[in-house]
Amino acid sequence: MISILGSANTLGLFFFGSMSASMSHEIKNALAIINEHAGLLDDLVRLSEKGKPLSTDRLKSLSANIGRQVQRADNIVGRLNRFAHSARQPVITTDTKEIFEFTAALVDRLASMNSVTITVGMDVEVPMQVRPFVLENLLWVCLKTMFSMISGPHSIEFKAKKKDSDVAIIIQFDEGVPVEMIGVHAAQEGQPLLIALRAVMSPDVQNNSITLTMPRKFEE
Amino acid sequence: MRVLLVDDEEELVSTLAERLAMRGIETAWVTDYRSALALVEKEQFDIALLDVRLPEMNGLELKRLIEAKRPGMKFIFLTGHGSEEDFKACSAESGQEYYLIKPVQIEVVMAKLNEIFRP
Repeated sequence: MISILGSANTLGLFFFGSMSASMSHEIKNALAIINEHAGLLDDLVRLSEKGKPLSTDRLKSLSANIGRQVQRADNIVGRLNRFAHSARQPVITTDTKEIFEFTAALVDRLASMNSVTITVGMDVEVPMQVRPFVLENLLWVCLKTMFSMISGPHSIEFKAKKKDSDVAIIIQFDEGVPVEMIGVHAAQEGQPLLIALRAVMSPDVQNNSITLTMPRKFEE
Repeated sequence: MRVLLVDDEEELVSTLAERLAMRGIETAWVTDYRSALALVEKEQFDIALLDVRLPEMNGLELKRLIEAKRPGMKFIFLTGHGSEEDFKACSAESGQEYYLIKPVQIEVVMAKLNEIFRP
């Protein structure tokens, strides 16, 4: 049990590292854009001092661009902060949709770098008791396994439904995704997380999906 | 000197291009690897400034493809790593001669370009 927990913690650390690196790169990009806009403002002021008229429309546009990038960076920092706190969050009762939406936001840049679009398709609430960080980690293992096995644009939909006392979390892929291979590799890498969540991973090649079935009520 | 800028952040690359143009550097910019390859096929550049993390293909892979089409072209990598030390520790691209850490001051970009094309 100790080695399983140890492996889950190691996976958690890799997950934390990957997400932190990705989000800090995003923040760097926002700062780099702000830096260029501020530099351009400086350039335009210098030119105006040499007699070139300064366009107020240009200034307004640059100011708006800077404001938008500040907002973008603030959103990323907010997400990073929520993620950092979630690492030590205990078991809570939450709607699976909330976990899907947060996971999709976390991996948004990495998904777009791999030309993958992630959506959440749920009309009804499916509450469950879970440590959100562990489930997010398992979803990330499935996603990054997929990213390493595809090329070209693809899409994923996260869904969940109640199934007796369990919840079935469905990762729905589009055509052309090697579902079985993803299932095999993700189940192997994510085994400690599957054990921690008491979950079973089932690839469904005919329906292009992977289902994670786990109890809706968490019991120690 | 003609410089090709490649970064998927359009606001970054277009503004940097404008600022380099103000300093007498002729530039073209694109936001993905396909457009970069199409452009080097049609036009001649002396140097490419490449983002390390591009969608679908990283900067180093793109460098290899461009080099195959345009031998002798020079490259500078732009990276969002925290510091030069982080970049060296974490990146396969760290063996490259020229790289800049975002956000980068225009004077540093100019100095790097002049260093590469010093007579």
